[in-house]
Amino acid sequence: MTPDNPQQPTALSRALSGGVLMAVGIGMLVIGWSYPVGQLTQMGPGYVPRAIAIFICVMAATILVIDLRSTDVARSDGLHWRGLIFVSAAMLIFATLVDVAGLVPSMFLAVAVSMFADRQAKPLTVLIYTVLATFAGWLLFLVILELPIPAFRRWS
Amino acid sequence: MIDQFLLGLSVVLQPDVLIYAFAGVFIGQLIGVLPGIGAITAISLLLPITFYLDATASMILLAGIYYGSQYGGSIASILLNLPGTPSSVVTCLDGYPLAQNGRAGLALFVAAFSSFIGGMIGVSILVLAAIPMTTIALRFGAPEYAMLVVLGLLAASLIGTGSQLRSFAMVLVGIALGVVGADATTGFYRFVAMPELADGISLVSLAMGLFGVSEIIRHATHHGRPTPRLNLKIRDILPTRAEARSLGGPILRGSAIGSFFGALPGTGAAIASFMSYATEKRFSRTPGKFGKGHLPGLSAPEAANNAASQTGFIPTLTLGIPGDAVMALIIGALILNGIIPGPRLMVDQPLLFWGVIASFFVGNIILLLINIPLIRLWVLLLRIPYQKLYPIIIVMICVGVYSHRTSVVDVVLTLAFGIVGYLMKSYRFEPAPVLLGFVLGPLLEDNFRRTMLIYRGDFLIFVERPISAGLLACTTALIVFSVYSAIRNRRPPAGLPAKNEH
Repeated sequence: MTPDNPQQPTALSRALSGGVLMAVGIGMLVIGWSYPVGQLTQMGPGYVPRAIAIFICVMAATILVIDLRSTDVARSDGLHWRGLIFVSAAMLIFATLVDVAGLVPSMFLAVAVSMFADRQAKPLTVLIYTVLATFAGWLLFLVILELPIPAFRRWS
Repeated sequence: MIDQFLLGLSVVLQPDVLIYAFAGVFIGQLIGVLPGIGAITAISLLLPITFYLDATASMILLAGIYYGSQYGGSIASILLNLPGTPSSVVTCLDGYPLAQNGRAGLALFVAAFSSFIGGMIGVSILVLAAIPMTTIALRFGAPEYAMLVVLGLLAASLIGTGSQLRSFAMVLVGIALGVVGADATTGFYRFVAMPELADGISLVSLAMGLFGVSEIIRHATHHGRPTPRLNLKIRDILPTRAEARSLGGPILRGSAIGSFFGALPGTGAAIASFMSYATEKRFSRTPGKFGKGHLPGLSAPEAANNAASQTGFIPTLTLGIPGDAVMALIIGALILNGIIPGPRLMVDQPLLFWGVIASFFVGNIILLLINIPLIRLWVLLLRIPYQKLYPIIIVMICVGVYSHRTSVVDVVLTLAFGIVGYLMKSYRFEPAPVLLGFVLGPLLEDNFRRTMLIYRGDFLIFVERPISAGLLACTTALIVFSVYSAIRNRRPPAGLPAKNEH
């Protein structure tokens, strides 16, 4: 899971946190540019967002300078790609299916898919576990808590 | 004060209320034991459920989860060297060496006992402070609220762990996220990219993403959590007479430090425990013993984080200003129940106000009683591998977020915040200041705008009003202190090693 372990992080990777933050600040400034600002005594809805955006840009610039000057920054240990992919997939599947197919199928698939974030997942264990977890979920959410979500929806 | 407290007790001791106090502290202890699920995740999960409860019961339940998790957090720290909650990170330092030396039972007992005393001192201070604080709070106008929020946000970024600049940047990002949606004064839509965002970003989505999903992404692939070994005999649990005597001072100092940082908006249990450990070590005659299983190093931070988790309710209940991220969620729950927290709460809802406070008193006793006898259950829980837990947590997050506003967009947003939170942490940005900024940002904007409108843009008003001037003085002192210590840490005097906090 550690793709490359850079002894000396490159200038680019050290500039990343400040750079992304700067992008957030500038983006906020650009989108909020058309909002009515008003004056200090009569602030419009655009006043505070613009002030915050400027503050963010200042902080981003400061962080950028500090990170670029120091040497022991961003000891990034690589991304957890497997977790990232399967957790995202599970949640997106849930979001897609819950309005279409109902709670039980979406819970079933979300549990099953998310289990593969674990490197040592075995299909049979996953199946048994998923069936049990879905049953427990149905019991908790629909029987005990009586959440107003249909268990199954008819495909239409 | 005594009368009101007894009134509160009469509310809590009704069986149908008591059950929520018990459920709260039990769930709290349980999720505190399990590393990877904190009070924030548990409370966000239960937030939708509190729709179906009355306000008093849901407050008692959620608050119980919060301070209960402080008790439970120490168990995983002591037995596995894995902090169950952020505030029990320090507990590992001296708790785990004790367990390795075969004194796990003693460590657990001392942790539980210190937690209990700390919690009780915290509750007492809360009871004593409630009426005077409410009296002061009733005199709060827009300038005072604005100043207090500024103090809280700065305290959250300047005190504590991690880079102060980065924490402050995260506070700003939190405020920025809080701006999304219809402007409270004019109804103008700001940063509404999708119609679903017209009501703003959901607090539940943000909290679950930043704290729940991001941790799952990080830990799902990992393997090999150590399994706890434990053989407890009553004889091993109790401290010797000399050890018991050495605990008094640390517990009292820890409770005092904890009570202060708990009551200060922006700082909470985690910071309190760090601070009290650092203090104990600095003023100890035997600083070399710390980190090797020294009992004061265990009892002081445990007392501190539990005291802080109780006094944290002072600003929450009297001013409606949440002291930390968990308090923000609890305030969110109150608002969802149609109750506006603030100085009017004690006057308008005395049963709720005093009932909740009395429930802390009862809850701490329940926690002390269930802590040691149920230790086998907690150890059993620690044997469950994370790989069997996280799929269930994912589903609970999905269903919790979805049922909150019946919105699929919220589920996708939660995932987005989860990924952002995961990346943030990889680049040493803390997620907690984001949540605090998100909750306090709208309060700051609203009160600042109102101040400027009422007093015609006159900044001197912050100095002219006494309470606001006091808060401003605290804020200035805080800034001066942190700039001073930053400079001192950067240039250590020759011959001395650089002083590291905690």
